[in-house]
Amino acid sequence: MSSTTAPPRRRVAVTAFGVVSPLGLGAPANLEGLIEGRDAIRPVAQFDVSKTRCKTAGAAPPFPEADAVPARRRLHRASQMLTAASREAQTMDPAFIPEWMVIGTTSGGMSCGESFYRSQTTRIPLRERAFLLANYMPQKAVLDAQAACGFSAPSQIIANACASGTNAIGHAFMLIRAGLHRRVACGGYDALSEMVFAGFDSLQASTAEKVRPFDKNRSGLALGEGAAVFFLEEWDSALARGASILAEITGYGISTDNHHLTQPHPSGIGPRMAMERALASAVRDAAEIDYINAHGTATAFNDGTEGLAISQLFGARTPVSSTKSMTGHALGGAGSIEAAFSILAIQNQFLPPNINYLEADPAWNLDIVANRARPARVRRILSNSFGFGGTNASIVIEEVPGKGAAA
Amino acid sequence: MGWVTPLGADLEGVRRLIESGVQPRLQSVTNPESGKEHRCFRVPPELVAHLGRNPRLRRSSVISYFAIAAALAACEDAGLVLTPETAARTAVIFAVSDGGVVYTRKFYEQVVKQGANAASPLLFAETVYNAPASHLAAQLGIDGASYTLVGDASAAIAALKMGEQLLALRGIDQCVVVACEELDWILCEAYNVWRLARTPLSEGAAAVVLSGGGRCAIEAHPGIPFFRQRDAADALRRAIDELPGCGSFDVIVHGDNGTFIDKAASSALAQEPRIATASAFSTKRSIGETVAASALIDVIFCALQLRQIGAGAGLVPVIGFNHQVSAARITCKPQ
Repeated sequence: MSSTTAPPRRRVAVTAFGVVSPLGLGAPANLEGLIEGRDAIRPVAQFDVSKTRCKTAGAAPPFPEADAVPARRRLHRASQMLTAASREAQTMDPAFIPEWMVIGTTSGGMSCGESFYRSQTTRIPLRERAFLLANYMPQKAVLDAQAACGFSAPSQIIANACASGTNAIGHAFMLIRAGLHRRVACGGYDALSEMVFAGFDSLQASTAEKVRPFDKNRSGLALGEGAAVFFLEEWDSALARGASILAEITGYGISTDNHHLTQPHPSGIGPRMAMERALASAVRDAAEIDYINAHGTATAFNDGTEGLAISQLFGARTPVSSTKSMTGHALGGAGSIEAAFSILAIQNQFLPPNINYLEADPAWNLDIVANRARPARVRRILSNSFGFGGTNASIVIEEVPGKGAAA
Repeated sequence: MGWVTPLGADLEGVRRLIESGVQPRLQSVTNPESGKEHRCFRVPPELVAHLGRNPRLRRSSVISYFAIAAALAACEDAGLVLTPETAARTAVIFAVSDGGVVYTRKFYEQVVKQGANAASPLLFAETVYNAPASHLAAQLGIDGASYTLVGDASAAIAALKMGEQLLALRGIDQCVVVACEELDWILCEAYNVWRLARTPLSEGAAAVVLSGGGRCAIEAHPGIPFFRQRDAADALRRAIDELPGCGSFDVIVHGDNGTFIDKAASSALAQEPRIATASAFSTKRSIGETVAASALIDVIFCALQLRQIGAGAGLVPVIGFNHQVSAARITCKPQ
């Protein structure tokens, strides 16, 4: 994605964010979970898992706010999560009005689609069936979140599988950096569903054991769910209105690995190109990155290629962890949730842990942040997301000059 | 430009048929649970049969075949030859509303009827929205930007807008934008329940190659979200007003499909002086409702009509079912 006549580069500020994950509702609860290294993966209660190998997932806690608002009570869980994350961001920066919205998702309101299928053989009133359809569509959660916040911005909904959330932030970043927009709300969401759960189980990508990213004996992922939303603004515009700047997005890289629909090329070329492009976009060397929030699903294929690519690019000098060991894999929401975790790591100067880690994989040489959060000087973070279809995305998130621990 | 429709895949041939109001053969799909039949238009299998030997498509659903066939036709029409060098400067944007609904329904059916342990992983892999974009990127050798956008019919216009954005970022020289849908009985059932199937549902794909040059130009409106159907007319009025260029339109291709959309469009366009002398067309009256693909089919049909009359400006208003209202202005220079 190089260019001989590069457009002017504007700086991109994060003025607010909101996050919902299995670790909790809101940034404070998630921070607490990350510091504790809490394992939020539990037995699945939402649907029947008697015939799957894997029986656990990370589920987000209930939503007291949504329950308290009758209009939101019946919303799909995906809508509730995206709305809660959007409302948290809006509370942080009430003056932010987005001109544009970019949201990533993989499965929208899939469980409503499942119920619609089941309604073919059961008696359900027509009105209820229409409700299921409306809430199945991926755009419904985005419209519900906009309505709850009083926004009315054009939206692009990216469905690039598990890279969607990072793609959404990356594209929003590029729009502001190039001067096409000043204020963009972006993020991602996905909710647990039986169909997707069964799908990962059928691929034998999910595990019946603990999730152990980058461990020699890793055996697969657990699914998760959640949402995160960010308010991105052109730097000078944010400064001019006195907005609080929490972090800066400085780089975005995207690559497409054409090897196979669900398996990355064993050389790690896809992840490597995404990371290299993100670093080039941020005008940073690998040595300047203080921490990598890895995609780290704990599958043989993902960790094998991502571990190799990180090892080649960064060696063992940059600490790495996968927070999916605590939350599970929230698919289209994962990249955004992990970007929120990255901002929390910068704000609180620590490295989130890679829990359940027992034995290093000899295939690479990485500094894994094993099992316990680690205090550290954190100025710049690279966050990775890779997905089916060979979609790979990486972003660079940086500390705001003058706000760091050493400043 | 390229397309794969129930009336064929030849640009000029299909244009003429739509202009003449010709319809493809009406077919039906049956809900096996209720026995209920739904009318629909299907793409003749021979239009994509030549892709059957492609190893990436061996296990994929027809949606990927449609997408690749339309995209390859568009690349050929644009004279775009994908070498490793041009592929590195090309992006793929894929727009869809209902996605790989055939395999999604089949996979979940296996989960429900046979148990999750008997469901096929081969089906599941193809259920992700971006599977067609992945196959297309592999076919074209593109290893850079590939995006899949979802939504209602307006997703196709959002994809054109994204293409415009990516070109403005100057990282690419051209962008292949594809919109596509496939049919399944559950989709017909859904649109019927939703009372949005007054026009037969259809399947197919449309594709355009966007770049800095070319005889035709597309200016896509960013879109206006609407929260109630009764807000759609006002949103469309606004979208048309906000389109760049204020001259009159020679051609309008609107999305008549027998639903609230017709009333909203009529209301918004009734007072619109810029379409007073425009020739009006509806592709859906011929080939049915193809949701996201319909919007891009309308854009292509509009451009072809403008080419036919030599030059001018065309309007494609798009009112989605439940997401955004949008519009595109198409201009064509004399040859």
